[in-house]
Amino acid sequence: MTCEDARKNLPLFLYGEMSFDEEELLEVHIDECDGCREALERERAMFAALDAAEVTPTAQALADARSELHRRLAGERRLGMERDRGLERTQTAGFWNKIREGFSIHFHFAPGLAQVAGAVAMLALGFLTARFTPGHLGGGMGQAGLVDPMTTSHVRYVEPMSTGRVRIVVDETRQRELSGRPTDEAIQRLLLTAAKDPSDAGLRVESVDLLKNNSQSAEIRKALVYSLEHDPNAGVRLKALDGLKQFAADPDTRTALTQVLLKDDNPGVRTQVIDLLVQQQHNDAMVGVLQELMEKEDNNYIRLRCQKILQEMNASAEMY
Amino acid sequence: MDEPELIRSAQKGDQRAFEQLVRLYDQNVLRLATNLLRSAEDANDIYQEAFLRVYKNLHTFRFDCSFHTWLYRIVSNLCLDALRKRKVRREESSLVETSEGYLDRMDTVEEPRADSDPERRLESKQVREKIQQVLGGLTPRERAVFEMRHYQGMRLRTIGELMGTSEEAAKNCLFRATQKMRAALGDFL
Repeated sequence: MTCEDARKNLPLFLYGEMSFDEEELLEVHIDECDGCREALERERAMFAALDAAEVTPTAQALADARSELHRRLAGERRLGMERDRGLERTQTAGFWNKIREGFSIHFHFAPGLAQVAGAVAMLALGFLTARFTPGHLGGGMGQAGLVDPMTTSHVRYVEPMSTGRVRIVVDETRQRELSGRPTDEAIQRLLLTAAKDPSDAGLRVESVDLLKNNSQSAEIRKALVYSLEHDPNAGVRLKALDGLKQFAADPDTRTALTQVLLKDDNPGVRTQVIDLLVQQQHNDAMVGVLQELMEKEDNNYIRLRCQKILQEMNASAEMY
Repeated sequence: MDEPELIRSAQKGDQRAFEQLVRLYDQNVLRLATNLLRSAEDANDIYQEAFLRVYKNLHTFRFDCSFHTWLYRIVSNLCLDALRKRKVRREESSLVETSEGYLDRMDTVEEPRADSDPERRLESKQVREKIQQVLGGLTPRERAVFEMRHYQGMRLRTIGELMGTSEEAAKNCLFRATQKMRAALGDFL
């Protein structure tokens, strides 16, 4: 092996990318060649410098990325569902359009008879539909209309009647689309409800994100504190925390923050809380909390910040 | 659930399985993107785009290769595109304007551990800056191969496979990258 070959292959040697035989040849050469041995040492030093230059994303960056992805996936799922619903609606509409078109061919040349014939035909069709669909109730009790894809039903009450018929009470939930400014009362009320929807974390993240910009309202601030303390999703808690930043000096918010610092299992959330508390005027009531935190906290960054506050307050880092 | 089971469940629409699958790889994906792009913001964009593509195309995954290779093929293509775009508009400053004034984007990534000796700290800072400069001078492919080999510890064969090239071509890329770094860092080491 020549010195040129040996030096070219030094990175592969250090990465362990050479075959056993190639490695053997290189090692023999290095044993005998001072220049290449020095070159190997320089290569090792370069690798060490490169190792030291590696950047790692912060825990917060990872938490943020996960939370954003979660929200975007929820958005994708919603879009998918809306597409499916749209398809269903198109198929239903297509069916009725075909029937209507079928009739219109015959009525085109006899406009006078069209209304009568159309009414008779629709009655006949309605009769047949009602006879053969499960929604048929018959008589004057109710009518089985077309199933509206925007409505979901829940049977609330069932009662057999003496006449042999059945009485059923149905709850219907109808979907509506609303739009308005995030400051509108009706919109805020819906956002407050959505911020507590246990079934959809993505919806909660978006709702809290919109609410946090209007946290001057006491009700919204209360909802943000609730989300920060109780929401199972760290992304929602971080959004709520963001909205509460400007109230960190407020005693109630501060109490909530210290509780989160002790109880939240997410280091990203705890990091943000400690950063927020550090910026505020310290008070003696916090000493106990911070000492308790020092006892149980594993995260080095949080421990250091905590220690710093305690030092500034001339307090011990330990509990006695 | 092991990985193939997670993939199959996610393919059937199990959201929890999909999120578990993401968790198996997402830390390394973000690390690779952060190192390659040296910007937390751009790395997050790659992260989002990569996993959204996986989500939308998982039904097409047929176990012809490992999931790792399939995922990293998506990630490396996105990173290469981002690096190429950046080359076109030249290496922009890492300073970005925010509502709080100018911020260095590199402040949002964790700095390597600082040395306690001020002189050595200065030296290591200079070496780091030099390394940054050299990495910025590599071609996108050289940089991607180097990052994946050096920081992610991937085998050259795998890198070749996921970059749609041969092991030999990946090796040559790595040779060129290390040669350039050796030439540039010689005086600092």
